Amino acid sequence: MTSLVFFYIFAVLIVISAIFMVTSRNIYYSALWLALTLFAVAGIFVLLNAYFLAGIQVLIYIGAVVVLTIFVINLTKEIEGKTEKQFNKQTIPALLALLTGIVLVVLAVLKTDWASRIAGWTNYDETAKIGNLLLNDFVIPFEAASVLLLIALIGAIAIVSLDKENK
Amino acid sequence: MLTLLHFIILSIVLFFIGIFGVLTRRNAIGILMSLELIFNAVNINMVAFSKFLTPQEIYGEIFTIFIITVAAAESVLGLAIILAIYRSRQKIYADEMNIMKW
Repeated sequence: MTSLVFFYIFAVLIVISAIFMVTSRNIYYSALWLALTLFAVAGIFVLLNAYFLAGIQVLIYIGAVVVLTIFVINLTKEIEGKTEKQFNKQTIPALLALLTGIVLVVLAVLKTDWASRIAGWTNYDETAKIGNLLLNDFVIPFEAASVLLLIALIGAIAIVSLDKENK
Repeated sequence: MLTLLHFIILSIVLFFIGIFGVLTRRNAIGILMSLELIFNAVNINMVAFSKFLTPQEIYGEIFTIFIITVAAAESVLGLAIILAIYRSRQKIYADEMNIMKW
């Protein structure tokens, strides 16, 4: 019962802050709303007994991605003024596309027979199991992910510093 | 009692809010942030399916870890490209980036 209450608290927090994030005129506020959304998603992970993922969510998303986004917003500061338009002219086509997508997805969800597929609910934390799997069954994707992060790091440095050399 | 449907509905709502942001934002940074919303909707879905449908195996959570890794790399590269475009053109509005359109 308490988990249901917490679920609704986090869900309302996620939906409201996501809507504010998408519709906010100031891109800086948008980033702060994004941080709140990600924090509430971490709460949802806790409700799902995925404590390790909740920790990763807070560390990587809020600690790295949102901070990086705010840095870039500050570096491109001059473009966000009160008079600048923040939305393009596609609002009505976007809403139509959304409506179509929502109808399709809701139909798919309603047509699926969930009751026969639900296997149960494990109530324990699986952090140790995740660690075991990452270093046994998933060791090659794990190493590939580390190489990917290295490539992204070097690529970001190369892209950003290229301009300065040319000037 | 929490059911799988709760998480699916939450994930659908978050996903389509993100899609709306991607389609209507003019600022390229805003588009990247909306993409993060979409990734998070998918992550909630993955973990919920993993917990409810296959509770013995935790492959859904492993996939979520990889999604978060790739999303971080994507976000870093996207922001670097935005910064490079800003340096050369002083603007990062997605509907004015038509330099490659001939």
